[in-house]
Amino acid sequence: MGKNNRHVNINTEQESKERQGVDNRSKERQGVDSRSNENQGKEQQGKRQQNDSQEINSLYESDVLQEEELELKAYDSRLMKRLLTFAARYWFFFLIAVLLLFASTAVDLIRPYLMGITIDDYIKAGDSASLNRMGIYFLILLVAGFLFNLLQIYVLSYAGQSIIYNIRQKLFSHMQKLPLSYFDKNPIGRLVTRVTNDTETLNDMYTNVLVTLLKDFVLLAGTVVIMFRLNVSLTLVALAVMPIVVILTIFFRVKIRKVYRNVRIALARINSAISENISGMRVIQMFSRENQSFDRFNETGEEYKKAVMNEVVTFGLFRPVIEMLSSFSLALLIWFGGVKVLDGALTFGILYSFINYISMLFQPINDLAEKYNILQASMAASERIFMILDTPEEEDDGTVHLEDDTLKGDIEFKNVWFAYNNEDWVLRDVSFKVPAGQTVAIVGATGAGKTSIINLLSRLYEIQNGEILIDGINIRDIYKDDLRRYIGVVLQDVFLFSGKLKDNIRLNEEGISDEQIKAVAEYVNADGFINNLHGGYEAEVMERGSTLSSGQRQLLAFARALAFNPAILVLDEATSNIDTETELLIQDALHKLTKNRTTIVIAHRLSTIQHADNIILLHKGKVRESGNHQELLAKKGMYHSLYLLQYQKDESNHK
Amino acid sequence: MSAFRYIRDLLLWHKYRYVLGVIFLLCVDILQLVMPKILGNATDSLEGGTLTRAKLAEFAVIIALIAIGIATFRFLFRYALYGASRSIELSFRNRFYAHLQRLSSNYFNTHKTGDLMAHATNDMNNVTMATGQGVIFAIDCLMIPIAALIMMLITAGWRLTAACFAPLLLLAITVLFFMKIMESTVTKQQEAFSNLTETARENFSGIRVVKSFVQEQKEIEKFRAVNKINKEANLRFTRLMSMMFPSVMLISSLSFIIALWYGGIMVIEGSLTLGDFVAFNSYLGLLIWPITALGWVANIFQRGSVSLERINKIMDERPEISDRKSSNYQADEFGPNKSAAYNEKRIESKIGAGIEGRIESPATSKILGRIEFRNLSFTYPGSANPVLKNISITVESGKTLAIVGRTGTGKTTLINLIPRLLSVPAGTLLIDGTDINDIPLSLLRGSIGCVPQDTFLFSDTIGNNIDFYRDFSMDEVENASRIARLYDNIMEFPGQFDTIVGERGVTLSGGQKQRVAIARAVLGSPSILILDDCLSAVDAKTEESILGDLKKLMKQRTSIIVSHRISAVKDADEIIVLDDGQIIERGTHTSLLELGGYYHSLHTRQLLADEIERAD
Repeated sequence: MGKNNRHVNINTEQESKERQGVDNRSKERQGVDSRSNENQGKEQQGKRQQNDSQEINSLYESDVLQEEELELKAYDSRLMKRLLTFAARYWFFFLIAVLLLFASTAVDLIRPYLMGITIDDYIKAGDSASLNRMGIYFLILLVAGFLFNLLQIYVLSYAGQSIIYNIRQKLFSHMQKLPLSYFDKNPIGRLVTRVTNDTETLNDMYTNVLVTLLKDFVLLAGTVVIMFRLNVSLTLVALAVMPIVVILTIFFRVKIRKVYRNVRIALARINSAISENISGMRVIQMFSRENQSFDRFNETGEEYKKAVMNEVVTFGLFRPVIEMLSSFSLALLIWFGGVKVLDGALTFGILYSFINYISMLFQPINDLAEKYNILQASMAASERIFMILDTPEEEDDGTVHLEDDTLKGDIEFKNVWFAYNNEDWVLRDVSFKVPAGQTVAIVGATGAGKTSIINLLSRLYEIQNGEILIDGINIRDIYKDDLRRYIGVVLQDVFLFSGKLKDNIRLNEEGISDEQIKAVAEYVNADGFINNLHGGYEAEVMERGSTLSSGQRQLLAFARALAFNPAILVLDEATSNIDTETELLIQDALHKLTKNRTTIVIAHRLSTIQHADNIILLHKGKVRESGNHQELLAKKGMYHSLYLLQYQKDESNHK
Repeated sequence: MSAFRYIRDLLLWHKYRYVLGVIFLLCVDILQLVMPKILGNATDSLEGGTLTRAKLAEFAVIIALIAIGIATFRFLFRYALYGASRSIELSFRNRFYAHLQRLSSNYFNTHKTGDLMAHATNDMNNVTMATGQGVIFAIDCLMIPIAALIMMLITAGWRLTAACFAPLLLLAITVLFFMKIMESTVTKQQEAFSNLTETARENFSGIRVVKSFVQEQKEIEKFRAVNKINKEANLRFTRLMSMMFPSVMLISSLSFIIALWYGGIMVIEGSLTLGDFVAFNSYLGLLIWPITALGWVANIFQRGSVSLERINKIMDERPEISDRKSSNYQADEFGPNKSAAYNEKRIESKIGAGIEGRIESPATSKILGRIEFRNLSFTYPGSANPVLKNISITVESGKTLAIVGRTGTGKTTLINLIPRLLSVPAGTLLIDGTDINDIPLSLLRGSIGCVPQDTFLFSDTIGNNIDFYRDFSMDEVENASRIARLYDNIMEFPGQFDTIVGERGVTLSGGQKQRVAIARAVLGSPSILILDDCLSAVDAKTEESILGDLKKLMKQRTSIIVSHRISAVKDADEIIVLDDGQIIERGTHTSLLELGGYYHSLHTRQLLADEIERAD
């Protein structure tokens, strides 16, 4: 009879354990995440730190608030349908899981019945031979249940993991095709969270909710059916408390949902309060506002404690009350059932089975609130994921392929207008030509729109008006991949990937051999410093290359660009101070790189400008002057002033 | 040193709640142990034929009453113990935060925000788990098995008990075994996940390169590889889990079969009554959960102690900058002239309220604003090269000093020393003739209005960001915003001064943010005004008009201004040029122009830049 107790007992505690377990697993992960970050890049920039810190709990306040909003809509069938399409491929696994589940539920259901029979027919009857037989039956059942359970969990989690893998892959692939402007608008930390934690959340939905809900239902229905078949009136007695249980469950479900949500929001608030106060600690200290800031921090803490205590009270009421009702049900059974046994209308064994069945009825009810929470969280996560999947990819309606042997490399900007946002024109009616093989230097004060030109040529952003032509073909008509393949880009801020140095030159292009890498590195004078590194070309790039000087990084970027041997080269010179020796290497490399290659260079060095075939002076988005160095100087116009301002000192420094 | 050094008093503070909670918990356990006995008795009297309807009703009522008792005590112990652990969490987190507030800027430069956040949330949570759930389950896991075992021995003798208990030993071993393998699996799983995260992060950070070199497809393949590893690591984990749970079920059910079988035989032989048989089964049921939970309980405490250790490490960090004990300005942490006993009491009441982190020190004096750097050199801790070398300047009260120089020459470091955001070497920096280390921090910082280079706004109303919780009147706040040329902008906002700024509210432009910081600094007429390149994001016209007002303000107080713009510095009483941590030029605008050095070339370049800027 104590089985009743056991079940309820295990359920209440185990459940809270499981809930915490799930919580912890994700938390632990995030914790480890932060710790591994610690190892990977102590010197990361402040901006990145911000991202990291927000990512720690993947609890963006906005995300939590969005969840809140979504919860008002409760369950969204549109989202569910879409989530199920991902599961469709694995229907077979789900089918097997469901079958196994039926089997293991059947085993669960039959055991109390057999117990009753054993007590009635064998133990009380003193039939020890049959008791032995029943013992063996039980053993078989046990092993069968073990196998069914094991297989079911495994099959289900295999399907779940596969689905998550697919969603993640799909999401990441889609994100590769999103326009650059999307990445400008969304903090990296948040995008990473979508690919990692949000997809992980879905896993719970597929494995914990989808099938187990079915199991709960089968278990409930099966128990009721068996009970009715055993004894109708006793079943009615046993179910007498059920209406109260149902009402309580509905009432608590609403309350628990609210309470749980408040906890999440309060935790998100603490997170953002800590992150904000740490970032602003200097200001706080500078103005001696420690006490005030402490009080405010304390408030968020108090709020959190209040929310948590609310949770404790709600769960603390719900579970014991349900458990109490199950004991009431037991008391009723003993009373009515006992009377019937006394009257001889019922055997003791059946009564015993009933007591065990009661516990089975209460088991799923305890889980319900939890399942609902998982469902909610995964709905919110899927909404965020689908939002990304629904963002249109970069446009690519090109029809023309570029060919190695026919490509000459003439570039023309024709009345180009461009703005990152709306009418904030960065380029206004810019027109210029770069004949094949020539080098054009673009100069101008900061904010003149120079860098945009690089972005536009390879269509990282789309222009609003005018056209850009390569060999007389509008770049919109060229396949984007072709376009980018034939344009080599060297950015001012050289991004290095973790991994070997040589892999930073060839990127993922397996076709570029180690010899080729060595050859291009030698050609652009990067060979010298690479060989001096511990490990040479095999050296691991540490902390995103922060151990390399900016000059060395620039040389690496040259090598990278050259390795792909582009017909057109676009480069943004580094502005930062570079030691004289490296500077000479860079100038020499640049000279070799641009020879016989159509080149657009955003120039910051006098030597680069002097070597250019043509100079274009941009100012406030317009082309102001153009010509070669001598011509422009002779004009005594804006170029002359700019020369005096920016390059003259340069010259004196390097002489 | 004890691992509990920063938490012991908090635990002791809640000792009565713990004691009460444990008593309630024991009540639940005892009532749970009574239940099987009652069922057994009912069964025996039923079998013995001594059971009457009245007695049956009595049993039912007793069961119902016990159920009510269990529910009540269960609620009470949860409330008491979880409540205690949450109160400890709150106080501990507050203590942690208060400690962070005392650390110098240098600490935050070398420690990542993300890690500190992880400590304040994840680690804190682990400690809370240990002080709450950990305690509950530890007691459960200890009490219930022992009591149940004793009851089983009494009810059915040692033979049956031993037979049924044997698989449970196996269960404990199995669970511990799984936990052990799980550890390495979880580590691998976490590694895979963090690898996945890192790959995605790196890709998104370098998306420009990826796109420019048409590496999308290759990157997708690269991601596929880590995605796959992650999936496999997860599967390994789930494989274990799918083994573990059914195994636990199998082994615990084995006990029941033995009870049924061997117990049944004993009943048949007559050495056990049916009622004892039923009761025995119930006791067995009580045993399963605590034994299964053993490994998990150990895990909670282990994690809690690791987290506590991590937090302790930060708490051990001694604040680099704090008020000196023997100060000319009589002020210590808990106010002047208060007895130790009084302080003791205050601390205690504050622990209770969870607000002990407040610093109290009344300003007892006023700073006039004479600043003297006396042959000051400064080196950041852990670095070999000094950032500032032999700086000697005196700024008389009410005068203005301007600092120019290239980036990275130590200008901001110099400025940060004045409010002691960095630790100042003794005797090198004097305010009103007193070593800065001898001036109470609150007095010092309260007398300085500083506009830092990078402005920081809190997600709060714009009014609160200017007032910054100093309780100035609305008039004063408005006036300050007028000086900063911000008033008109604010009036255009939907909520005016009550408009929320930051991520959850209105986004301000860089120039607007800088002007909020200026308004914040000028508010309350500080004796010393420090402007660290604070107009860089403001357009030339606004800059001019702000400077006009600021200059009037600066006439009345000691001011230090760092700027790249000649227009901002030319009226200063003294201008110094810093290079590589040293003063290379000093004088007034006119004298420096005549000198023909860095300042002169800066001036010329500025004129050219203005010329270019004006061209349109």
